[in-house]
Amino acid sequence: MTAPTWILHASGLNKQYGPGCPRCQQFTGPAHNNSQCPVCNTVYACVDAGFTLHQGEVLGIVGESGSGKSTLLQMINLATAADSGNIWYREPRTPDADPVDLLQMDAYRSRHFRNDRLGIVYQRPELGLNMRFTVGGNVAEKLLLANWRHVGNIRTRIRELMEQTELPPERIDDDPHTFSGGMLQRVQIAKALSSSPSLLLLDEVTSGLDLSVQARVLDLIRRIQWEQQMTMLLVSHDLGVIKQLARRTIVMKNGHIVESGLTDQILEDPQHPYTQLLVSSAL
Amino acid sequence: MSTTPEQLYNFGFIDEDSKREVRRQILKAIALPGHQVPFASRDLPIARGWGTGGLQITMAIIAADDTLKVIDQGVDECVNAVNLRRLLQRTTGVTTTVDTTAASIIQTRHRIPEEPMRRDQILVLQVPMVDPLRWVEPNLERATIMHGESDYGRMWVYMYESVVKAGDLRIATQYPVIVAGRYMMDTTPIPRWDVMRLHNAEALFLFGAGREKRIYAVPPYTTIEPLQFEDFRFKTEFVAGQICARCGAQDAFLTSHFVVDSDHPDGGHWRSSCSDTSFCDKRVLVNATNQEAPK
Repeated sequence: MTAPTWILHASGLNKQYGPGCPRCQQFTGPAHNNSQCPVCNTVYACVDAGFTLHQGEVLGIVGESGSGKSTLLQMINLATAADSGNIWYREPRTPDADPVDLLQMDAYRSRHFRNDRLGIVYQRPELGLNMRFTVGGNVAEKLLLANWRHVGNIRTRIRELMEQTELPPERIDDDPHTFSGGMLQRVQIAKALSSSPSLLLLDEVTSGLDLSVQARVLDLIRRIQWEQQMTMLLVSHDLGVIKQLARRTIVMKNGHIVESGLTDQILEDPQHPYTQLLVSSAL
Repeated sequence: MSTTPEQLYNFGFIDEDSKREVRRQILKAIALPGHQVPFASRDLPIARGWGTGGLQITMAIIAADDTLKVIDQGVDECVNAVNLRRLLQRTTGVTTTVDTTAASIIQTRHRIPEEPMRRDQILVLQVPMVDPLRWVEPNLERATIMHGESDYGRMWVYMYESVVKAGDLRIATQYPVIVAGRYMMDTTPIPRWDVMRLHNAEALFLFGAGREKRIYAVPPYTTIEPLQFEDFRFKTEFVAGQICARCGAQDAFLTSHFVVDSDHPDGGHWRSSCSDTSFCDKRVLVNATNQEAPK
């Protein structure tokens, strides 16, 4: 049996908002419980972050609000430019090909990569969907970007995706405003899956949903992961969600990764004081 | 020495530096077909939205030996066309004409003349709204990035929604096209009838928007592809059996107007005629003398 190949390897990712000063290191980081330098007001959103993601794996990123987990996700999504670092990507369909550094791609290639190989689901549906278009139009966007030019075929594919994400296909032409929060998350998932991406990014997908709806959305994500062996990067502040979906987890605080490992290990035997606090608060 | 009021102005009204600036942006627009090039739009003695963009282009490129034609909705004699022509004629002294074939520069709003244009002619279009992405992305900065990355997915969704909601591609004017396989361009303000007449045409087309301070161009022999689906194709306006009541043309863009007739049970009737009056007049003349009509 061969070891699963990695498809994403990030290293040394940094993102700061502000010029920085010689005293930043003295005042910022998990040891000082602070991401913002009190001297120059520079915010260190992500500092020297790195991880490896294997084919078919779900990696959880957990941390409190402002810990930098969404910044890290947006850097992987190529929506936020990293100040430094590398994001190596190996195409799973051609595993023998050389990996490419996503941060070295020009804007044009990067947009194509985002559309073809990445799918993202946001906490707030209005970030992932255009509320002025119909549900079908929203799901169609990635197909149209991938040069689908037959309306009949596009609509057949949208209906398939709606069935796959447990949405009623007869509501293909409805306004997204008439959908509930849980249904809008499914629309986002359908849109993300439409281009058969290599990597699905999930940013707090169940936050703000009531518990029963949360459970159904989580079931759906788990089923998709199982059936399609989808590689996922899951950001959440909810350890319960991480425990259900992620095999491995990294814990972030003040822009730094303070701990990483198997999810069970982190939940059962947290090493870093912050992780211990997080786990004890949750349980 | 006495001077006439017109001699108080520079040739072509605007100053030479402004003309040079406009010409530089025109060259850039020609080099990047369909790309919107910003330019420093000057104040003119007509209101923004009345053709100041097209007017500044014409003022920047016109020379003393040019022959000018100005049309609005295909008509040479409507108020806007007459006033623009008068301003240009008085500040340049160039010869003006209503004959498309005799003109070297044609300034227009809403139409491309019916008679095919030659490689020694330039058509200057007055543009009210520049960016096709305005319908789907109101933020100019984001729309500029979308153009830069050829990120036209949302515009395609707009077309898809048009099919879903109206059963067909129901976009009357401002039909979006892809120019030279790269930039998406608004063909504003011409009707769909004229869209494919931009495709691989011999003449140079310059588009100017004074209010939005943008110039863009379709150089000669440039490909134009309207946005369309395999099962919902781009169509021009066409009403079977509609002919021009004056010249009998069926293969021209026709406009309809209501003719009041007290003897008619409906109080009058609808009548169609060519939108391009110069083309229509020529055909009427030819019909009257039994010669071959211009095509």
